[in-house]
Amino acid sequence: MNAPSGPVAGRLASAADDADRAVLEQVASGRHEAIGELYERYKTMTFALALRITGDSALAEDVVQDAFVGAWRNASRYEPGRGSVKTWLLSIVHHRAIDATRRRRPTTELPEGDGPTPEPLILPSPWMEVAGRLDRDAIQSALATLSVVQREAIELGYFGGLTQLEISARTGAPLGTVKSRMRLGLLALRTALRALGPPNEGEPT
Amino acid sequence: MTHRDAIEPITCDDVRDLAAGFVIGALSPADMQRLGAHLSTCTDPHAEIAELGGVVPYLAESLTPVEPPARLRNRILDAVAAEAVASEVRLPAPVSPIPTPVPPRAIESAPSVARRSGPWAGRRPVWAALGIAAVVAVVVLGSWNLQLRATNDELAAYQRGVAAVVQAASAKGAQLAILGDPKGASPAAGVAAVKADGTVAIAMRGLAPTTGTQVYEAWLIASTGAPVPIGGFQVGSGGSGTLTDGHGPTAASVVVALTLEPGPGATAPTGPIVVSGVALAQPG
Repeated sequence: MNAPSGPVAGRLASAADDADRAVLEQVASGRHEAIGELYERYKTMTFALALRITGDSALAEDVVQDAFVGAWRNASRYEPGRGSVKTWLLSIVHHRAIDATRRRRPTTELPEGDGPTPEPLILPSPWMEVAGRLDRDAIQSALATLSVVQREAIELGYFGGLTQLEISARTGAPLGTVKSRMRLGLLALRTALRALGPPNEGEPT
Repeated sequence: MTHRDAIEPITCDDVRDLAAGFVIGALSPADMQRLGAHLSTCTDPHAEIAELGGVVPYLAESLTPVEPPARLRNRILDAVAAEAVASEVRLPAPVSPIPTPVPPRAIESAPSVARRSGPWAGRRPVWAALGIAAVVAVVVLGSWNLQLRATNDELAAYQRGVAAVVQAASAKGAQLAILGDPKGASPAAGVAAVKADGTVAIAMRGLAPTTGTQVYEAWLIASTGAPVPIGGFQVGSGGSGTLTDGHGPTAASVVVALTLEPGPGATAPTGPIVVSGVALAQPG
């Protein structure tokens, strides 16, 4: 995916987002097989995410299946004001993948083992992207502006499924340091992404 | 370790401290609970959460795309189709209690279920191997009420139960029973499949939830002899319950019935029959 950047990318992004929303509306109104269209658009992105988090191809397949069936089931609950369909799908895959890996590994953090996943984890709330659609190279260049330890803290949390406490134990950094690395890393990433994104989009004055 | 005591309240400043961990999904369950409790009552919109959260999807998109196995598409469409059939009641008339028992011939003229397979043309859905009577049976199992009240786990269990019944019913020599209230007063309805080897699978919805050790016990009742227990199951808040590994004697022409029992392991029914249906061989 080599999307153009600049204002053209912004228009393409919103056209793609509108098309996704139209498909999801069809899904919600009973055209079940339309979920296959969303799957075709986002299969490589969602499978890459599930695979990165679970590290297991079979489990990643289960996660993606579970996520798309969940998206189908909850299509009518999707709120356009809270982010694009793509972001919504990614957040569902992310939460299910994290959930699946946490169930597999023993941990002292989870209070009751294999208990049911809390509702916030089943129906995550996506947020509006800060900079519209960007291609992967642009995103990676934005990520490269983070310090190594910031990036490590974010990746251990987002891809590793570790809690801040677990990251602290893993890296030896105090909990407060882990928290501020995550926060400062996200803020730095936000600044870098905004600098790359289409102008006049999403920037509150 | 966390304790399930009362959740300690946190301040708006604490929320700002937790925001990054929250949007990444890296909060401990205890912090997650505290944050949720705060956000549910706080009047501050906590814009910092959306500001940081809007960065998160780019983390996923920074990954090199990976092509999933080709079979995954059909797995997803099949799962959606099976669930759609199990949950969708769009019959012209309001759903009425299922008449019981319903011989397959009688329901063959039911509203055109065949049309449902239209959009799926070109693929072979799981129920395609079955006669139309079985399809109608599964469709009539529509769980519109279940969807409103059941947890995701219960819905998933119900769908697995329906799938087990469909699978068992498609086995050679299997019999299918549509279960309903003999008096027509209860909304409880379901299907049971009895395989030639005596294996029984049942999927039910519209039952009153069980409490404590209560179970719905399933019985096979042959034309002669006492009811034989074949297994029990519990029913959650959504009113659905399934039995996937029941086992009973093999016999032609049996009635499948459910009673509510105070605990598992009953050897003779103590309660009245909640639902029942005659198991009939599948045409073809």
